[in-house]
Amino acid sequence: MAETKYDVVIVGSGASGGMAAYVLARKGIKCLMLDAGPAPDLTRDRTLKAVYDLPYRGFRKPGILPHVLQANAFNSNVWADETQNPYTYDGDDQFNWVRVRLVGGKSLFWARMSFRLSDYEFKARDHDGYGENWPISYSDLAPYYDKVEPIFRVAGRKEGWKQLPDGVFLEDNSPDSVCVQQFKTAANQAGIPVTKMRRATGQGMLASSFNLLLPDALASGNLTLVSNAVAREVTVDKNTGLANGVNFIDRHSRREIHASGRAVVLGASCLESTRLLLNSGLANSSGALGHYLFDQFYITRTVDAIMPAACGGKANRHLIGGGGYCPRFRNLDTKAKNFIRGYALDFGSGGTPDPAVIPEYGAALESKLDYYRGAGFSVTTMGEVLPRFENFVTIDRNTSDAWGIPALHFSARYSDNEFNMAADAVSTLNEVCHNAGFEVLAKHDKMFPPGYSIHELGTCRMGDDPKTSVLNKWNQSHDVKNLFVVDGSSFVTGGSQNPTMTILSLSMRASEYLAESLRKGDL
Amino acid sequence: MPLQRRKFLQVAAAVPAAPALLAQQSAPAPPAPSAADVQTLATTTPDAAACTTVPGFFTDPQLAALRRLCDLLLPSVNGLPGALDAKVPEFLDFLIGVSPAPRQQLYRQGLDLLNAISSERFAKLFVALDPSQTDQILGPLRAPWTYDPPSDPLANFLREAKADIRTATESSRERADSAPSGGRRPRGIGLYWLPIDPLV
Repeated sequence: MAETKYDVVIVGSGASGGMAAYVLARKGIKCLMLDAGPAPDLTRDRTLKAVYDLPYRGFRKPGILPHVLQANAFNSNVWADETQNPYTYDGDDQFNWVRVRLVGGKSLFWARMSFRLSDYEFKARDHDGYGENWPISYSDLAPYYDKVEPIFRVAGRKEGWKQLPDGVFLEDNSPDSVCVQQFKTAANQAGIPVTKMRRATGQGMLASSFNLLLPDALASGNLTLVSNAVAREVTVDKNTGLANGVNFIDRHSRREIHASGRAVVLGASCLESTRLLLNSGLANSSGALGHYLFDQFYITRTVDAIMPAACGGKANRHLIGGGGYCPRFRNLDTKAKNFIRGYALDFGSGGTPDPAVIPEYGAALESKLDYYRGAGFSVTTMGEVLPRFENFVTIDRNTSDAWGIPALHFSARYSDNEFNMAADAVSTLNEVCHNAGFEVLAKHDKMFPPGYSIHELGTCRMGDDPKTSVLNKWNQSHDVKNLFVVDGSSFVTGGSQNPTMTILSLSMRASEYLAESLRKGDL
Repeated sequence: MPLQRRKFLQVAAAVPAAPALLAQQSAPAPPAPSAADVQTLATTTPDAAACTTVPGFFTDPQLAALRRLCDLLLPSVNGLPGALDAKVPEFLDFLIGVSPAPRQQLYRQGLDLLNAISSERFAKLFVALDPSQTDQILGPLRAPWTYDPPSDPLANFLREAKADIRTATESSRERADSAPSGGRRPRGIGLYWLPIDPLV
């Protein structure tokens, strides 16, 4: 059979690749999508089970997935197997690279927290002089957020804040519990804004490319989706220097196959796209490819507290329950003393404190837990990490995956800016919780290793200058004009907002540009 | 479980009667059943059949210390099964036995330390101490929580054991059977992802 030449070969089927297919296929453009993993069957591959009937009774299988702290006894099988998909890092500078190799990718499992970036991120250099601005501003991306949010059915409450622009929301006007109101009052007095969580509700609480993007793309008749296709290399026409397809390896047979296309779109996830480009020896005339790796640092349970009024069996839905979100509040109109940028807070109430933080054991501990039951209040801190050239990935020529493809090596660590921000978060939260009338049981400022948030960004950043950036403002390679990278690797800064809505919007914008370029014959 | 078993027995009991019924009616033989007609056999898990894990990792003194520790850290309170009721020592013997070496070392060293300190202070193994004596040795569990693990090996072991014993107890069949469901699903039930098209 003669090789089919598609208009576009898309690598990856998660949020970014899925959005590219959604836009391009519905415009009549013939697309071939490659995904490294199998397609899950959500009725066949999931089943209700009792924790005591699992092989390790609530513990995950010992020794597997050492870098996936999110893995548990129920979901261990969905994460990419680190023995098949190894990576390396410098000495003790651990990086937790969390991957999902399934059609739909990480969008099957994300926390669905849905925020917009603002010009505090897009024009960060203008604001504080550090790093680079994006080549686009908020006004360039706002129309795409407007289109993405209804697809993902984002619920939230409009506030009119400059640092967290409002979206096209399913209005969340549900009442706050007394506990949340107390926290909000104390936070507002400290200059900290509080709002409802902004979250994609999708369909049946699944807000994935798997159910919201790929079905429509396939229904257009213009998308061919190949699962178990492990991309190895973007191929180039030696005469034109343009991309002409992708070499991939069948996951089961390990047979190498070529897919041919007039353009190539990478949406394989931030670091897989960069790995593919590094292994292809492409798009790196700037020397920036792989550099400026950043994510968002997470401190879960920064504060573990209880609401005394809800203790002793008095917790009820009116009194306590629910949570909320505090967007960045530092370094907007004033300057923090020892860090730039800022952090956001995600809080919840109504649970029971972690027994680990209660200095008791035996019957005394059980008695305390009974007393605290339903009265818990905890906060997670999510902080901006500066994009620094010194944090980067490269190819480890001594390590390959199960398909013989060279693996990534990480060289990344947090800096004093992040550590000082974390210290500010814990002292601020401690004070706010006390002022809210809560009793703080435990607090800490210890962040997880880089990568934990699964918000890895950068390494293929966009910019106006081809000497310092990999992509232009359309997510298009400066070097290879028919090559686009539409995932989080294109970010210049990340703020403290969860990035998925921005990834989706960038991919939609880039894909519309690509469609128009193909129509005009510009590529 | 009882319903499934009853159903299976009903099916089994019905089979011998069928030929006799057919002979009475003198009807033509029905078509042979297809594979789809074969009944799923009711099976169960070892734990559900009340089988007991055979310990094989810890030494006898270590296992005795672990049993005592389980009873002290998570006893039966207010009718809820405790760690011993949930057979946690035997389960942890299995779990730690298949865990990476650092975790095995943490447990072996920790249990040996419990016995060594008990012998040194009270001339008895940990299992034989009275409550006031064990309370002295478990003092590190009353220290304020810190994010970083304690540098003292015993304190570090006790902190890990406290968490593991709780997880193993709360995830046990005994706990699930003892508590009424507070939500839509029975206690301890979750959405489990099976391996998806694994490499062969």
